[in-house]
Amino acid sequence: MELEIKLIRDHCLADLNEVEELKALDNVRIKYLGKKGTLTIALKGMGKLSSEERPIIGKLANEIREEIEQNITQQKQALEQKEMEAQIREEVIDVSLPGKKHLSGNLHPLTTTVNELKEIFLGMGFTIEEGPEIEWTKYNFDYLNVPKEHSARDLQDTFYYKDDIVLRTQTSPVQVRVMQERKPPLRMISPGRVYRTDEVDATHSPVFHQMEGLVIDKGITMGDLKGTLDLFAKKLFGEQTKTKFRPHQFYFTEPSAEMDVTCFKCGGVGCKVCSNTGWIEVLGCGMVHPNVLKACGIDPDVYSGFAFGLGLDRIAITKYGITDLRLLFENDLRFLSQFK
Amino acid sequence: MLVSLNWLKEYVDINIAPYDFGEVLTMSGTKVETLTVVSENVSNILTGKILKIEQHPNADKLVVCTVDIGTDERIIVTAAKNVFEGAVVPVAVDGAVTANGTEIGTSDFRGVLSYGMFCSIEELGMNADLFSKEIMEGIYILPANTPLGMDVRKLLWLDDVIIDVELTANRSDCQSIVGIAKESAAALDLPIRDFKIYTKDEKRNDISNYLAVKVENEACSRYVAKLLKVKKVEPSPLWIQVKLMNSGVRPINNIVDVTNYVMLELGQPLHAFDYESLKSKEIVVKTTNDKKIITLDNKERNINDSMLMITNGSIPVAIAGVMGGENSEITDNTSVIVLESACFYKNSVRLTSKQLGLRTEASSRFEKGVDPELANIAALRATYLLEEIGACEVIEGIIDVYPQPVSPKKLSLDIDWVNAFIGISVSEDAVANMLKRLFFTVKSCASGKLEIEVPSFRQDIEGKQDLAEEVARMFGYDNIPSTIMGGETMIGGKTPIQKYEDAIKNILVGQGYYETLTTSFTSEKRLIALNSYFKDTLVRLVNPLGEENSIMRHTLIGHQLEVISLNYNRKNPSGRFFELANTYHKSEAPDELPREEKMLVISTYGSDDYFELKGMVELLLTHSGINHPTFSAGGSDFLHPGRKSVVYVDDVRLGEIGEIHPSVVKNYDLPKRCYVCELSFKALYESCVTDIKFIDLPKFPASNRDLAIQLKADIPASSVETIIRKNSGDILESIELFDVYTGEQIPENFKSLAYALNFRHHERTLNDDDINPVIEKILEELNSSLDAQIRE
Ligand SMILES: [Zn+2]
Repeated sequence: MELEIKLIRDHCLADLNEVEELKALDNVRIKYLGKKGTLTIALKGMGKLSSEERPIIGKLANEIREEIEQNITQQKQALEQKEMEAQIREEVIDVSLPGKKHLSGNLHPLTTTVNELKEIFLGMGFTIEEGPEIEWTKYNFDYLNVPKEHSARDLQDTFYYKDDIVLRTQTSPVQVRVMQERKPPLRMISPGRVYRTDEVDATHSPVFHQMEGLVIDKGITMGDLKGTLDLFAKKLFGEQTKTKFRPHQFYFTEPSAEMDVTCFKCGGVGCKVCSNTGWIEVLGCGMVHPNVLKACGIDPDVYSGFAFGLGLDRIAITKYGITDLRLLFENDLRFLSQFK
Repeated sequence: MLVSLNWLKEYVDINIAPYDFGEVLTMSGTKVETLTVVSENVSNILTGKILKIEQHPNADKLVVCTVDIGTDERIIVTAAKNVFEGAVVPVAVDGAVTANGTEIGTSDFRGVLSYGMFCSIEELGMNADLFSKEIMEGIYILPANTPLGMDVRKLLWLDDVIIDVELTANRSDCQSIVGIAKESAAALDLPIRDFKIYTKDEKRNDISNYLAVKVENEACSRYVAKLLKVKKVEPSPLWIQVKLMNSGVRPINNIVDVTNYVMLELGQPLHAFDYESLKSKEIVVKTTNDKKIITLDNKERNINDSMLMITNGSIPVAIAGVMGGENSEITDNTSVIVLESACFYKNSVRLTSKQLGLRTEASSRFEKGVDPELANIAALRATYLLEEIGACEVIEGIIDVYPQPVSPKKLSLDIDWVNAFIGISVSEDAVANMLKRLFFTVKSCASGKLEIEVPSFRQDIEGKQDLAEEVARMFGYDNIPSTIMGGETMIGGKTPIQKYEDAIKNILVGQGYYETLTTSFTSEKRLIALNSYFKDTLVRLVNPLGEENSIMRHTLIGHQLEVISLNYNRKNPSGRFFELANTYHKSEAPDELPREEKMLVISTYGSDDYFELKGMVELLLTHSGINHPTFSAGGSDFLHPGRKSVVYVDDVRLGEIGEIHPSVVKNYDLPKRCYVCELSFKALYESCVTDIKFIDLPKFPASNRDLAIQLKADIPASSVETIIRKNSGDILESIELFDVYTGEQIPENFKSLAYALNFRHHERTLNDDDINPVIEKILEELNSSLDAQIRE
């Protein structure tokens, strides 16, 4: 009996050695350990054994069963490992092949520029205000202290819809509307589309964009104007930017100034962008004219304020080094897609 | 305006480098555009007199000249034809350098040595625009009395620096050498020199024998006239010519040159009439009914009764403030001149000049406003100069019609206010001193206030803010300390609709759409091509830049199609675009502004179809909290009649979406298939559901049913979905159309729609008893309303 069991073990181990697939492994188990397996059947003959022999053979049989099962498990692990390795070998890909295209568009460079400017002023407690593009002359000119006979009102300069309605030539009428509707303190910017009768060329467009800003409060000084716009310039063009305020004239403000910044291309040494001056003219500004405050129902003896205005298209083209303003309005995808 | 630095230095001792002086001017309010030396290179060119001209022995076209250059005589060979014996000319001697940098040496001209050469205008580097072609082509001939051996660099002011300044509209007083000199003196805190005028104490009033002046129009606030006998009309002395040339003005003759000289120097335009040609003993300033006048430039001008004229009582002899008439022009035979120094109202001159399309040095000065107090001074300055250069003899007496002399403006200035307003702290004395430097009369009075009298030439000063600007610019804008605004803290920030705008744009960008920027103008033609011309509701401009830009757009579609067309024709194979911009619509009420409506337009071509674009719109709506929009067939005429729909949320019309009509495709040169969607941004924003409420995750399983419905092909799927929703009640969790089939398995003109329905109850598990009746009800209504059958 002992011999018989050992023989079964030897046969089984030999069989296991030849197994190369997981399925075959199962067959081996059934052949030896299953209900009708050779070892199972052999052990059924144990009843015939003497009471002395039975425990010895029983122990041996259990040892052998365990040995076989252990072998099967080992063999299974080995086979599984082999199979996984084969799968991995088969599944190698060329990781350098291109990724699948996901479409993505982008904002127009003008919008991106305007967003940047907006963020700067929003951070200083400003609101963003909008108003009509087709505007009463009184808002576009009269309340802004533009003299009745000024040439800016001529048909050669301004688009007219009716005698007293024009396409706004700046976004300042929005400021007038806000001043008339709300009480100071006010801090606002009004970016938007404006119109002047300029023929289209590399630097002009009859449709363009401006952003005007306004602060009204008690005790606002020219020093505040300088401080605020200097901060704005540093945030927009970089920490190292310097500003220069030159006296100028606007009807809306008195005193008035133009602000230059050190050229952001060359840092002030002179280059093509700044026409070798080291400076770039960025905006017009000044202390709000008392006539404007009065026209908007604000007492100039109690309140003061400053205003500024800048051309957005010009900032955008300077910022990105765009050579021709017309490209901004043309919308060629090869242009648009450069501003991701 | 061109300003000669040499001329300026006759008034103020400017002893800093030109560049630094330019900076001072700019920072004090007179913006310097450029600084240019007239002729940087020229050196060692001397004045010389041609003593003798002989034919060159070996060359027909050359002559040999003996020239006296002061210290000695030189032989110069030239091919120039305008030289003559006795002519004084610029001689570039051995070692001289001409304007373009060429060094002149001794050269051999066919066997005759030439020790230098004669120079033309161009070789001297002078302003070529001021000379006729003949003068330009020849050697520059100097006045006969010019001293010999003089360095022309100094003589002709070739070393002068021309300052091009940009003047602001309010500073009419700066349109002259003296005006800029006053600003320079103030900025540099230097004294200014006086100029000489005719000061003879005239006892007689001879002028009244010749002339009377009547002013019949308020547009002339002052008219000064002086009469002079002409000794000889001839070229002006060099020193006058040089100043004119360096100011960009062409020298003509001594009389005209002096009027221009005084205009450039003082800013007062002057005019000289030939007295005899006036054929009258009076000058009347008025408007007339005359239709034409020939001006000094020999052009016939159409005039009308809105234009102020200088007349001889019956016919116009000059257009006031703009240009003189040919009929009273100074000629070589003129024996007596009337010198006019007048002040005309700026708007009158501006409108006349605009109507005529004629801007002159005079009109551009009057347009900005000339100080009436200047008129007599300028007349006397010109009289002095005409006498001084020997051009005229003065006839005693002066006519000065000045009905309402201006009285000086008086203002008071509070020192504390000015300090607080600018953000500086300067003493009363310092402020007074700054204003005095600017020629204000300043008196101190009690309690920190200054009494100020404004000089008449400063017409721009009206109130204390104007004085504050004067103080600020004298203090120096750059010296004002930059400060951070005080006052209340303000939160600021974007409004919800501004944030929504950003969000919408970001979603579109994330889906591959590019933001475009198009103009607001369109035209009748472009709208007709778009099947979208609505004659009566359009906003038309009075003065457009051409017909193609004459209408303010009422839709953004046209411009999107132009963008697609451009990209398609430039071989960009596909594109997705969007823009958020205003459209413009005529208002119903006459006293209202046109209505402006912000629209969102989305367009695509090349690879997408209707459903791709519709999916994009649905995504936007989902992000806006809008879950059940309806797309009902219909829409504008620019869309394909079978492929267009109007988008609604409940009853609110958001806009429309569809494929571009084949006829529009043709008109706009588009790819065959383009898809657009235009939505009202306001309607979209107002339909938004912004508050998001969390719903517990389901605890009970869902039950799925698939339904295949067979129905007539022309019934929209949306009506099937509506019926399914209506009959399902709360337990319908989702519905998805997963297949649309037409073909062999079903009859012709029919289609099959396959839906996956998902039912779920939040408090229990649903079973067939719950769902089967629902399905039955759905099928019943589909059958009765749409004649639809279930496909087994
Ligand atoms: Zn630069």
